[in-house]
Amino acid sequence: MPVLKIYFSRLGKMTDLSNERILDRLPFLGLDIESVDAESVRIEYNPNRADFSTDYGIARALKGLVGSEVGLPIYQVADGPIKVEADANLSKVRPWIACAAVRDLKLDDETVRQLISMQEDLHNGIGRKRKKAAIGLHNLDAIKPPLSYRGMPGSFEFTPLGSTKKMTISEILGETDTGVAYGQILRGAPVYPVLYDSKDVVLSFPPIINGNATKVDAGTRNMFIDVTSIDERVGAEALAIICSALADAGGKIESVRVEYADSSRTTPDLSPQAMKFDEKLAARMTGLELTPAEMKDCLARSRLGLDGDGRALIPRYRVDIIHPVDLAEEVAIGYGLDRIEPLYPASKEPGRLARANSILDSVSESVAMAGFIETMGYDLVDADSLYQKFSRSGDSRIEVENPRTLEHHLLRDSILPSLMSTLARNVKAAYPQRVFEVGRVYTRAASGIDETPKLAAVVAHSSSSFSEAKMYLEALVREHLGRGIETRVAQHWAFADGRCAEVTVDGRAIGHVGEVKPSAVAAFGLELPVAGFEMDLSSFL
Amino acid sequence: MNETERAPLHPIERKVLTGLGSGKALEFDSLVLSAGLLPDQVRRSLSWLSSKALVTVQETSTFMLVATSAEPPELLIVSKLEASNGSLPMSELKAQFKSNQEFSAALGRASSMGWISIVPQQGGPVIVLKDQAGARKLQSLLSMLTGGLEESKVGPEFRMLIVDLLKRGLVVRKESRVMRIAITKAGAEALGGTENESYAEKLTPELLSSIRSSGAAVKLRPIDVRAPSASFFPGRRHPVKEFINEVREVYLSMGFVEIAGNSIQSSFWNFDALFTPQDHPAREMQDTFYIKGGRDESLQRRDHVDRVASAHEDGGGTGSRGWRYGWDIEEARRLVLRTHNTALTVRATMDSGDRETRVFSVGRVYRNENLDYKHLAELHQMEGIVIGEGLNLRHLMGVLMRFYGKLGMSGVKLWPSYFPYTEPSMQVMVYYDKVGKWLEMGGSGVFRPEVTLPLGVKKPVIAWGCGLERLLMLRLGIEDIRALYNNDLDWLRRREIASSEDIL
Repeated sequence: MPVLKIYFSRLGKMTDLSNERILDRLPFLGLDIESVDAESVRIEYNPNRADFSTDYGIARALKGLVGSEVGLPIYQVADGPIKVEADANLSKVRPWIACAAVRDLKLDDETVRQLISMQEDLHNGIGRKRKKAAIGLHNLDAIKPPLSYRGMPGSFEFTPLGSTKKMTISEILGETDTGVAYGQILRGAPVYPVLYDSKDVVLSFPPIINGNATKVDAGTRNMFIDVTSIDERVGAEALAIICSALADAGGKIESVRVEYADSSRTTPDLSPQAMKFDEKLAARMTGLELTPAEMKDCLARSRLGLDGDGRALIPRYRVDIIHPVDLAEEVAIGYGLDRIEPLYPASKEPGRLARANSILDSVSESVAMAGFIETMGYDLVDADSLYQKFSRSGDSRIEVENPRTLEHHLLRDSILPSLMSTLARNVKAAYPQRVFEVGRVYTRAASGIDETPKLAAVVAHSSSSFSEAKMYLEALVREHLGRGIETRVAQHWAFADGRCAEVTVDGRAIGHVGEVKPSAVAAFGLELPVAGFEMDLSSFL
Repeated sequence: MNETERAPLHPIERKVLTGLGSGKALEFDSLVLSAGLLPDQVRRSLSWLSSKALVTVQETSTFMLVATSAEPPELLIVSKLEASNGSLPMSELKAQFKSNQEFSAALGRASSMGWISIVPQQGGPVIVLKDQAGARKLQSLLSMLTGGLEESKVGPEFRMLIVDLLKRGLVVRKESRVMRIAITKAGAEALGGTENESYAEKLTPELLSSIRSSGAAVKLRPIDVRAPSASFFPGRRHPVKEFINEVREVYLSMGFVEIAGNSIQSSFWNFDALFTPQDHPAREMQDTFYIKGGRDESLQRRDHVDRVASAHEDGGGTGSRGWRYGWDIEEARRLVLRTHNTALTVRATMDSGDRETRVFSVGRVYRNENLDYKHLAELHQMEGIVIGEGLNLRHLMGVLMRFYGKLGMSGVKLWPSYFPYTEPSMQVMVYYDKVGKWLEMGGSGVFRPEVTLPLGVKKPVIAWGCGLERLLMLRLGIEDIRALYNNDLDWLRRREIASSEDIL
C-alpha cells in the first residue's frame, strides 16, 4: 500500500487542527499511521482512495470529518485557449489524452515533492504501473500552444528529462532506466506517442518520460498537465485528482480542448457525479436509525452533496464510489465508526466442526500420546530435501511461478522430507527423537492436482528399526480403524531396500513403512538411524 | 546425615556391604568375589555407598617393576662361554650374534663389568670367562621381575642395576592402583538394622495371590526415592495446532459450521468471485503463488461465472458500475495457492442458497513473500461469515466483540479500510491486555452486492478474517514468526502452554 509523509505544520495550517487531534482522527479516514515524529507523520493509505496521495486531499477529508468544512467541494474550471490535436495514428497504441492548465500557483519545495509523490502513486495505483494511465506535469510558460499528440517512429529524437543531449526513442527505450522499466507497455507498437508544441518542443513521450524543456520546479507559476491513457475514464479520473489538489494549493484551473479525428473533449471535468442515494439501504447496512437530515449531515462530513432529487453528488476525485453501498459506507464514516453500538446476532442453530478436520486432529492426538512431538512443515519446499537427498527423480514436480526463494517453490508430495529436515535441524537435541506431522501433500492426477491428507512419523535413535516403526503404525491403524495391517516387501524412494514394506489395510495400500535409506540419513547429516512411515489418511475420514 | 543413614538399601548395596563382612578392608577384586556381583555393579554401588558414608574407599598407588621379555646381550656372552668351557675365539663368539653392533655392545658391557677378559693370541683374540657372580645376580633380578614386583620390595643391592635396566628399556615401571574398601560403622548399622526384616523386592502376581488367599502382610523393600530416574520426552501437540483447535471451539460455541477446502484454488474463487479486478495489484505474481502450468479448464463462462464476469465488466445488474473492462476467463482459470480463506467462505456463500448461514474456516494461506522475522510464505487465517436477513454493521461489531473476547481480547474498534469485495470495509483493532495496547487484527466488512448477487445471495453477508500467528506469538512471547515453524525440538518439548487462561 502506498505510504505518504505529511508535515504537521502544513496540515495544521490547512485544517486548523492540533497535532494530537490530527493523529486521533487519521485512522477514522482509513489511514494507517506508520510512524510519527515531532514534525511529520508517515501514513499508509488504501489505493482506492487515490485522492489521499497529497496532504491537500487528506486535509479536505479531515475538515469534513471534524465538521469544520463540510459538503461537496466545488472546483471551478475557467475556459482556456489551449488546444491539443490528437492524431488517429495512436488509436491502437495509447489513444486518450486529457489535459489541464493551472495558473497562478505558488509552489514551494514541499508542494513539488508532494506533487511528484502523488504522480508516482497514481502511476502505480489507478495507472496500473503507467499501463492504463500516465501523467506529465509541465511548466506551461515553456510551451507554445497549440499542442500535438501524435505517434512517431523510433528514430524520433528529443532531449529527455534529466539529460543534456538528444536521444532517439529507441535509445530511450533501450538505455534509460524508465525506458527499460516501462518499455514493455509499448512493445510491438507501430509508432510511439509524443506530445509536442507548435515549436516542436517535446513535452513528453508517454508513458515513459517527459521532455527536459518543460521541467517543473519550485519556481513554476503556471503548469500544464497531460494524462495519456488506454482507458478514457481512468485518464479523466487521474486528471481530476491532480487538479483538485492543485486547486486546493491555490491554482486556477483552466480547461484544454482536445480534438480527436472524429470528436473533441474539453478537459478536465471537475463537476460532481450523481448517484441515487438509497436511504433505506444506508440505514439497513449501517444499522443506524438516522433522520434524512442526519443522513445528509453524515454525507456532508464525508464531503458528499445531496441534491433535491435524492441524488448524492460525488466529487470527481472520489473514484472509489461505484455502487450505492459505497454511499452507505460514507454515511457510517461520516457518522463515526467509533460511535456505532455493537449488537450480537444470536445464533439460531448449533455449530458443527468439519468431521474431516476433527478426525485428522484425533489422529495427531493419538500419535502425540504415543510419544511423538508434532511438527508443522511448509507445503512449499526445496528440491534438495524433496528429491536430491533421496536420489530421487523430480519429474513429477509441481512448481509455483516466480517464487521469491527457491527454499519454497515445490509443492511437496510427501511429508517424510520435511521430517528429515526437522531431524537435521535438531541433531543437538536429546535422543531418542520421535516426530510426526499430519499435513497435506500434492500429487499430479488426471484431473489436475490431488490434495491428500497424510501422516508421517519418524523415530531416530541408536537402535531405531523397521520393527519399531511398524509397531507404532500398527497401533494407530488398530486404534482408529479397528483394523490390522499387512506388510509386504516393497521399494520406496525414502526407505532402504530390504527394510521397506508396503502397508495394506483390507487389501488397500495406504502407505509405506521402513528404515530410511542410509544414503539419505547421511545426506541429511544425521548420525543415528531413522525409521518411520507415511500413510494416506483419506481412508480414516 | 541422619537422613542418609535411614536411606534404604538397594539389594545390590546390601550384597556389597555383606561382602565386606566384619570390617577388615578388602581390595576391589576380593570384594567382587565375596559380594558375588559383576565388577560394574560393585563399582556403581560403591559410589553410592561412599556418598552415603556407609563405606570408606581408599585408593593407593604403587609402582611395579616389570622385566620385558628381551634378554640382555651380555648374559648371552656369559652363557655361550659357559657352554664352551669358559673360552672361545672372538670370531666364533661373534658369529653367534645377529649383528656386529650387538656383539660389540655386549662385549663392551661384559668386559667393563669384569665378567670376561680378552686375551690376544696368534689365531686372533680369545674371550675368557672371569667371573660368573655378576651375571648370576642380574639373572636372578630379572627372574624376580618377570611377573612384576613392587618397587619397594626390591633390595638396595639391586638399585644400580635397576637404574641401568630401566634406562635400557629392559625393565619398565608401571603404576598400579589398589582400592581398599572397608565398611563403616554406619554401614554396619544400615546392614544390621534391616537385616531381620523380610521385604519383597516387587509385587508379583504370585505375591498378590498369596495376599488375597492368606491376607499375608507384604512389605516392599524401601528404595532410595531421591535417586535420579531415566530421562524421557513425552509427545506433544504443536502450539499452532493447539491454537487452531481453540479457535475452532470458539467458533463452535458461537453456532458456526466449519468448512474446509483445497489449498489450490482457481483465480476465479480466490479473486474474481471476490470482485477483485483482473488487473488488481494483489493478483500480481510477486504477491501470489500461481501453479506453473495450472489451469482450471472446467471453468466456463456460464451461470454464476458469467454473472461474476458481468459484475466486473459493467455491474451486470447488481446496481454497480462495475470495473469497466473486458473480463478474461483465461485469467480466472489460473490456479493459485489460496491467498486467503475468503476463497472458501465466498464459495460457502454461494452454497448457502441464500439461507441463514454462519460458517468459518481456519486454514493455511500462501503469500509469495521473502521470509523474515515478521513474514512467512505460509501462514494461517481464521475467517468467518454470517448470512442473515437484516444484518448490518452493528451485528458485525457484535460478532467481532464476541469472537475476539473469547480469544482473550477486551476491546474491539473499527477503522475504515478497503477491500475490493466488502463495503463497508473495516480494519479491526483489538485491545490485548497482556501487551496493553491496541493491535491491528485483520479486516472485516459486508460483502459487496457485486459479490453476493452473482452467487444468488440477496441477504447481507458480514465477513471478517485475521491471521492466527500474530496472536499466538503474543501469547507465547515470541518475537520472530519463523520460530513457530522451525520445529526446534527443545522448544516444542519444553514450551509453555499457550492457553488463553493466563491472559484473562
